[in-house]
Amino acid sequence: MIRSRLALPLAFLALAGAVQAQVPLQLDLPKPLFAGTPRPISLPNLEKPRVGKRPDLMVPAGTVNLSKGMPVTSSDSLPVIGELTFITDGDKSGTDGTYVELGPTPQWVQIDLGAKAKVAAVAVWHFHSQARVYHDVVVQVSDDKDFKTGVTTIFNCDDDDSSKLGKGKDLAYIENFEGKLIDARGATGRYVRLSSNGNTSDELNHYCEVEVHGALVK
Amino acid sequence: MFAPVSRWLPLALVVLAALALRTHDLARRPMHADEANQAVKTGELLEHGRYAFDPRDHHGPTLYYAALPVAWVRGETALATLTETTVRLVPALAGVLGVILLFVLALPLGRWLAVAAAAFMAVAPASVYYSRYFIHETLLVSFTLALLLAARRWWTTGRLGWALAAGSALGLMQATKASAPLFALVAVGALLAAAPPRCAARRPFRDVLLALVAALLIAAVFYSSFGTHFAGLRDAFMTYGFSSARAVDGSGHEKPWWYFFSLFGWLKNGGLVWQQIGFSLLAVAGLVAAFIPANKLLRGAAVYTALIAIALAFTPYKTPWHVVHLVPGVALLAAGGLALIPFRPLAFVVAAVVIALQLTQTRLASFLRSSDARNPYAYVHSAPDVLKIRGLAEAALALAPGGSIRVISEEYWPLPWYLRAFPRVGYWTEAPADCDGALVIASATQADAVRARLRGNYRESYLGLRPGFLCVVFTPAVP
Repeated sequence: MIRSRLALPLAFLALAGAVQAQVPLQLDLPKPLFAGTPRPISLPNLEKPRVGKRPDLMVPAGTVNLSKGMPVTSSDSLPVIGELTFITDGDKSGTDGTYVELGPTPQWVQIDLGAKAKVAAVAVWHFHSQARVYHDVVVQVSDDKDFKTGVTTIFNCDDDDSSKLGKGKDLAYIENFEGKLIDARGATGRYVRLSSNGNTSDELNHYCEVEVHGALVK
Repeated sequence: MFAPVSRWLPLALVVLAALALRTHDLARRPMHADEANQAVKTGELLEHGRYAFDPRDHHGPTLYYAALPVAWVRGETALATLTETTVRLVPALAGVLGVILLFVLALPLGRWLAVAAAAFMAVAPASVYYSRYFIHETLLVSFTLALLLAARRWWTTGRLGWALAAGSALGLMQATKASAPLFALVAVGALLAAAPPRCAARRPFRDVLLALVAALLIAAVFYSSFGTHFAGLRDAFMTYGFSSARAVDGSGHEKPWWYFFSLFGWLKNGGLVWQQIGFSLLAVAGLVAAFIPANKLLRGAAVYTALIAIALAFTPYKTPWHVVHLVPGVALLAAGGLALIPFRPLAFVVAAVVIALQLTQTRLASFLRSSDARNPYAYVHSAPDVLKIRGLAEAALALAPGGSIRVISEEYWPLPWYLRAFPRVGYWTEAPADCDGALVIASATQADAVRARLRGNYRESYLGLRPGFLCVVFTPAVP
């Protein structure tokens, strides 16, 4: 009888001993160590090298590069370095004289395909001679040259909507010689607009080449 | 009434221009890793009154102590409240002082040429850029000019006061950088080339001895942290072992012998052109004027510049801020080049054209592309992305108050400067066992190891520490 009467309080005491008040664990964190002048070492591209070639993006038969030689406009009409025509001239090497440099803050470039097209894929090369990531890359297709209506976003890595083009879920990526290949999933429109907002090396925006692959809508 | 105004107005305008160029929008450029190191050390001195000279790195004490009165005047009393503008005002004001000192040094050329020399230095791209940079170089240049001026005055007047002033300048030089003896010796060589044959002092050996005592006392006060750290006196000698080893082996900063000359020539990098052709051509003309006919001041400037150039050219360790030591001599020589132009109005036009060209370069270097990797003065410079760190940390801690910020990277400066106001920040060079935090910043090479040790769900984004050095930012995913 005494054992049974004591059982509950004893169990309660045991439980109270086991379940103590929880507080955040405060750890001492190591302070920064002072360092000398960083060395100008050129780091290799930091993405793991892929084994084999990039997986093929399947596109409809008859898909062609619609943007080669087509006119390009931009939010920065007077690029500091290069010309907008470099973007569709076919040269993707990224050496001096093959890329256009646009000013700081968000900037866009827009390619006029000449007629409405069904876009299968867009390939873009920003400045890729160094390991860098371009921020808030957004790629859109529209029939409206002002991109106010009928806009289809085919790529958006602006995860905090800082460019005010919508919050994107695509991943940012490190530039390399292969360029970024974007599946446009047949989005239709006459114009393709690409935006960015600086990069991890500076506040500027660069394009070596953009290729819009698809077929004109008959 | 107008005579004093017309006499002083040109210099006043030059000084105002120097001040404006050196102080405008000081906070805009991200902190270089070196600046951040110095600024955090300054913050510790400001907040805790503690400074100990490090013989291995970071140079002498004057930079840190010079920042204290600026911080006090601006109401900043702790590391967390210390700002980029406050610390950068130190080299900015030292740079303006250097312009004034050069004017006085150049007066034997005639007033208008002295103003021209000062104007050339006021707008020189390297002088302006590094006057906006919280490192020791501009202070060392100004102290060296003070030494030259005071020593020349002593030689020509014989007054002990000028000898003591020269000794004080020498002491400040020594308390600024261990390379001071090089610049002091070169200054002596230049003075001997420029000075009258006979010293006016009646007791020159006594004066020199007292000057050296003054120099030693001033250096000792600084290296001992104003009497609070006497081991600093020993370390002031030990530093020569570390710094000479670094100078000789280059330590990753090796460059060809013509590197500093190229900064006065023409460079094209990634579509941007950097040039000082007009300034350099005038200086070459001044070199001719130094010897045909002989002009002692210009000869002294030529000797000084040549000796510094040779010393810098043949030292394997080269960083671009050393170029500021060449600017005063080149500016003096350029003023001397103007003197060869027979018609003064034409000389004014040439000076104005050169100054205008220099100003376009200064604008490009110090304001338009101040942290661009193509800027020859922005050496291994932090990327503008680092300016986002504070906002990222604030947003992360708003979601997880009291949380920790972890920086896991083989290199992480200037991040400690930008995170200085946050209480719980830790720094690792390799991924620790526990990587979770309110915000985790890992170098791209450490990111895989960090990712494998994170227990929570995180969103990832990229941030550039500097061109070519990427960090991955892990932010807890909002459910």
